[in-house]
Amino acid sequence: MTEPLLQITDLQVAFRAGKTDIPAVRGASLTVYPGQTVAIVGESGSGKSTTAHAIIDLLPGTGHVTGGSIVFDGRDITHLKRREREAIRGSQIGLVPQDPMSNLNPLVRVGSQIKESLEANGIAKGKAADKRVVELLEEAGLPDAASRARQFPHEYSGGMRQRALIAMGLAARPKLLIADEPTSALDVTVQKQILDHLETLTADLGVAVLLITHDLGLAAERADHLVVMYKGQVVESGPALQILKNPQHPYSKRLISSAPSLASQRLTSQLRAEVRESSVKTAGEIAAEVVAEDELLGGEVTTAVVEAKNLTKVFKLPGGAPGRSIDFTAVDDVSFRLRRGTTTAIVGESGSGKSTVARMVLDLLEPTSGSVEFDGIDITSLRDKKQQLAFRRRVQPVFQNPYASLDPMYSIYRSIEEPLRTHKIGSDKEREAKIRDLLDKVSLPSAVMRRFPSELSGGQRQRVAIARALALDPEVVILDEAVSALDVLVQAQILTLLNDLQAELGLSYLFITHDLAVVRQIADDVLVMQNGKVVEQATVTEVFDRPREEYTRKLLDAIPGGSIELAS
Amino acid sequence: MPDMTPLPGQTIYVAPAADTPLEETGTVDTSAPPEGQWKEAWKQLRSNWIFWVSAVLLVFIFIVVLFPGLFTDINPRQAQLSRSLEGPSAGHWFGFDRQGYDVFSRVIYGARASVTVGILTMLFVTFVGLLTGAIAGFYGKWTDTIISRIADVFFAIPLILGAIVLLSSLNNVWSNRGYWGGVLAVVLVLAVFGWPQMTRIARGAVLEIKSLEFIDAARAIGATRRSNLWRHVIPNSLAPVIVTATVSLGVYIVAEATLSFLGIGLPPSVVSWGNDIAAAQSQVRSGSNLHVLFFPAGALAITVLSFMLLGDAVRDALDPKAKKS
Amino acid sequence: MWWYVGKRLLQAIPVVLGATLLIYAMVFLQPGDPILALFGEKPVSESVKAQLEAQYNLDQPFIVQWLLFLGGALTGDFGLSYSGQPVADLIGRAFPVTLKLALMALVIEAVLGIIAGFYAGLRRGKLFDSTMLVVSLLVIAVPIFVLGFMLQLVFGVQLQWAPATVGGDASITRLILPATVLGLVSFAYVLRLTRTSVVENLTADHVRTARAKGLSESEVNRRHVLRNSLIPVVTFLGADLGTLMAGAIVTEGIFNIPGIGNLAYQAVLRGEGPTVVSVVTVMVLVYVVMSLLVDLLYAALDPRIRYA
Repeated sequence: MTEPLLQITDLQVAFRAGKTDIPAVRGASLTVYPGQTVAIVGESGSGKSTTAHAIIDLLPGTGHVTGGSIVFDGRDITHLKRREREAIRGSQIGLVPQDPMSNLNPLVRVGSQIKESLEANGIAKGKAADKRVVELLEEAGLPDAASRARQFPHEYSGGMRQRALIAMGLAARPKLLIADEPTSALDVTVQKQILDHLETLTADLGVAVLLITHDLGLAAERADHLVVMYKGQVVESGPALQILKNPQHPYSKRLISSAPSLASQRLTSQLRAEVRESSVKTAGEIAAEVVAEDELLGGEVTTAVVEAKNLTKVFKLPGGAPGRSIDFTAVDDVSFRLRRGTTTAIVGESGSGKSTVARMVLDLLEPTSGSVEFDGIDITSLRDKKQQLAFRRRVQPVFQNPYASLDPMYSIYRSIEEPLRTHKIGSDKEREAKIRDLLDKVSLPSAVMRRFPSELSGGQRQRVAIARALALDPEVVILDEAVSALDVLVQAQILTLLNDLQAELGLSYLFITHDLAVVRQIADDVLVMQNGKVVEQATVTEVFDRPREEYTRKLLDAIPGGSIELAS
Repeated sequence: MPDMTPLPGQTIYVAPAADTPLEETGTVDTSAPPEGQWKEAWKQLRSNWIFWVSAVLLVFIFIVVLFPGLFTDINPRQAQLSRSLEGPSAGHWFGFDRQGYDVFSRVIYGARASVTVGILTMLFVTFVGLLTGAIAGFYGKWTDTIISRIADVFFAIPLILGAIVLLSSLNNVWSNRGYWGGVLAVVLVLAVFGWPQMTRIARGAVLEIKSLEFIDAARAIGATRRSNLWRHVIPNSLAPVIVTATVSLGVYIVAEATLSFLGIGLPPSVVSWGNDIAAAQSQVRSGSNLHVLFFPAGALAITVLSFMLLGDAVRDALDPKAKKS
Repeated sequence: MWWYVGKRLLQAIPVVLGATLLIYAMVFLQPGDPILALFGEKPVSESVKAQLEAQYNLDQPFIVQWLLFLGGALTGDFGLSYSGQPVADLIGRAFPVTLKLALMALVIEAVLGIIAGFYAGLRRGKLFDSTMLVVSLLVIAVPIFVLGFMLQLVFGVQLQWAPATVGGDASITRLILPATVLGLVSFAYVLRLTRTSVVENLTADHVRTARAKGLSESEVNRRHVLRNSLIPVVTFLGADLGTLMAGAIVTEGIFNIPGIGNLAYQAVLRGEGPTVVSVVTVMVLVYVVMSLLVDLLYAALDPRIRYA
């Protein structure tokens, strides 16, 4: 019988605020055996990272352990002296931190940063250490390691930095590696590569891994044992597949049904079809009415409400010499049609040009060439102020960052009122009634009206942003990564809300996202973009079931947990 | 691959639902009153003792500035030569200077000039700097280049050096300018060389705010650039401007005193701390009569300190970085 | 990088032109006759007056005067002062003195400010930190001429540790006291800047990662916290040299140092237009050169910044 490598029993962690302790972890227990991978899964605020940091005593700010015990390799390490603690870090327990962008010292060469780890743990010195650094980087899968070691972090891509951090975490051959959301900041395809590599590497070395993640699919795919945390407590733990297939605790059940990567496999396409049918019908009626009434824009009722034709955007970047510049083609000859009352998703990794397309459709950015037609009229031809306002009224955006998309100095009331005021719609009384109605539509109590954005959660702010977008009764809503920054449960709620609103109001969505998993729940047509170009363009079912292009297949494969069969 | 028989400590565990209740993910606390950014900052400020120390001091200083008569009956310009350089005594707490002026009365009446110069200069600089900085940052391109270059021109001339030159030229054109004329001249001169600093601060703040998503959202609504600037960008850029303004108030008070010390600031007829400190230097040689220097210098230091402390407290309350921790 | 230096120098041209024009206008564009003022009560013959006016280009239109001044300045010829000495000679004598004084002040404020700020940042909220904050506030709040005067009185007159005035012999030992006075205010700013920067860096992610590697506390502080905290401090110090040279006017007055500040001050008082304009022009050039150096220094310290 093997002894556990790490045993956490009834751990309590609190942060001191003034004179009171605010608990962050309340009685968490977990066990890790040598060579095993154990995952802690939870949303933000669940205490998963705090638990991990408590193990190596790297709690931020005023955090401190208030109770329970942490036993590592048969030794209680809950309260250690500074020297003892430093002796354990690196050589016994390694850490791969979350954000590769901020976790390397920007002023120090990557090689030297890994060398520090070797020297601090007495493994190698001087020339020998330099040699070992190159080996470690090679081992972490970094090509051309010898010259890369002499570079600075900013010369690395995100994925390369994460590889360097893995090399650093494993440099002193620890028995346990804590991987704190090691790939959340990376593109899905890079994420998969790195996790695959980490998995083989730790298996070869026999290192146990404590994986911290918000992604249930990812955890189930990579870990033997799963620990689900919620509000500082462990609500369920056990063998990974067993929890996934047969969750017991109401929170685990909810989490599994909300996870897009898992749920999307089960979500009946019938549900989406119902939404679409109702939406297309309503949208058609509205369009007929608008075209009849609105002589400003004119146009005709077509099946495509928005049509992008050969959209191209070239940015001029400052070049090597004054007066010279380098052309950077962010969007390259992109064409698509957004059918009235349906959702077209644009999927791509960072730098694919998907958000630039969104900004051009919104007329916030002028295309270098090509055009965006709205009801058959080129939007760049709308140079009349009145016509422009009429266009704005029919197309509205919801942006990604719920913390930056609302003016922090405006109350919720003023934020939603702003579009009405700008377009001089209604009297004060009518506006208030409209705002109440909008808040009701996005399922927020009208008491929220007098509050400010800083008092609301991310999901609530995103609801407010949706209400503001709907204030002008638009026909098209551009959702630019609108659910990407939200926790899983909240994300699921907002997606449901968006579906409901579409069915009710006949909205057409242009849904920009990096996350292929959520696409199935909301989109009808999909555009896959890479490096500014459209790689594949098809309906959702075709893309998921019969992807034609290699890149699309790679994206689909990279969805964490996508391969797990769930009995339903 | 998962083990079929769980190891000790890894058997299935499910927390009792009663101990781990699920909470709604979208509740709004409707009991507390709503709090905007300014209200929140005020709450933060209120709990900071440094703020209260500086506030009490500043209120006292403002009372002295507005109603010097409340504190002394003695005319600061009435010389009693017989009591020249006499030390502190009952009724004359701060003693007399060489001309036989009562130092306490001079300190009380001197507050007005110093504080007025500080406040007016700060208002002037903030107004010009905020406007130019916001326009440069918001409109960018040529507007930015032109405003930034002009600001550079003024910034390149050192404050005190430029102020001395400009004031001495003003003396030729506008020699007999009396109390308020004297104050105004110093204010104008300090403002001429002080505004570019505020322009830079405001421009930086505007550039940051301009790139946020709510500005794009407002553009997508159809709001004009100008209304965007006034309704969203400027109000959100105010925090660093206010902090800089508060701190720089103290700096301008010191600058005025320095100019007066150099004999080129306020006219000698104006009762001011700077003038009195300058005069005291020659009276304190070899270490005697320190009271003549100590009291006006102390009054000046306390005033400047109060503004700097207020600036620190305001920075802590407004700085989003400080708020997070 | 040379492209960048060239571009920056090109950008500096309008700034230098604008600043000299501004200062030239402030000095010469005003009513009153500088020649008459020069002679005071004494009567001046028309021919002497005309000759002097021609000598100082006062018979030319304002813009022409300025252009002639600029032309001369380009070749290092700042013309003659009203007392007949070449202004370039006056500046040539005074400038090295002030530069020495300012550099000494810079070293003093940098060494003391960084050490005190670093330890205050590491011991945030402790006694040393609070003491240093109070000291820095006091130094900023009490005007430099009061501080300078007090230090002169204590160390120069009472204790006689240092000469109370410097006079003609501006050697390093005689300049220590004035340099300390000059550097005091900036010392307070360096201290506060270092402290803030250290406090910020202590919570940086990469510092936590360094700890997780098993580095000892002192290694983390030395290699990661201090080093990263110094970037804003060093850029401040670079820009401060110009400020110190211009601010030396007060210190030079108190300690009677024949530097550039004193030269400017005396010239302003005597209405020596040509000297005033020349000194300010030199100071503007110092500012422009220093801000370019600071930018290059910044790039040298921070590998992320590359000037193309």
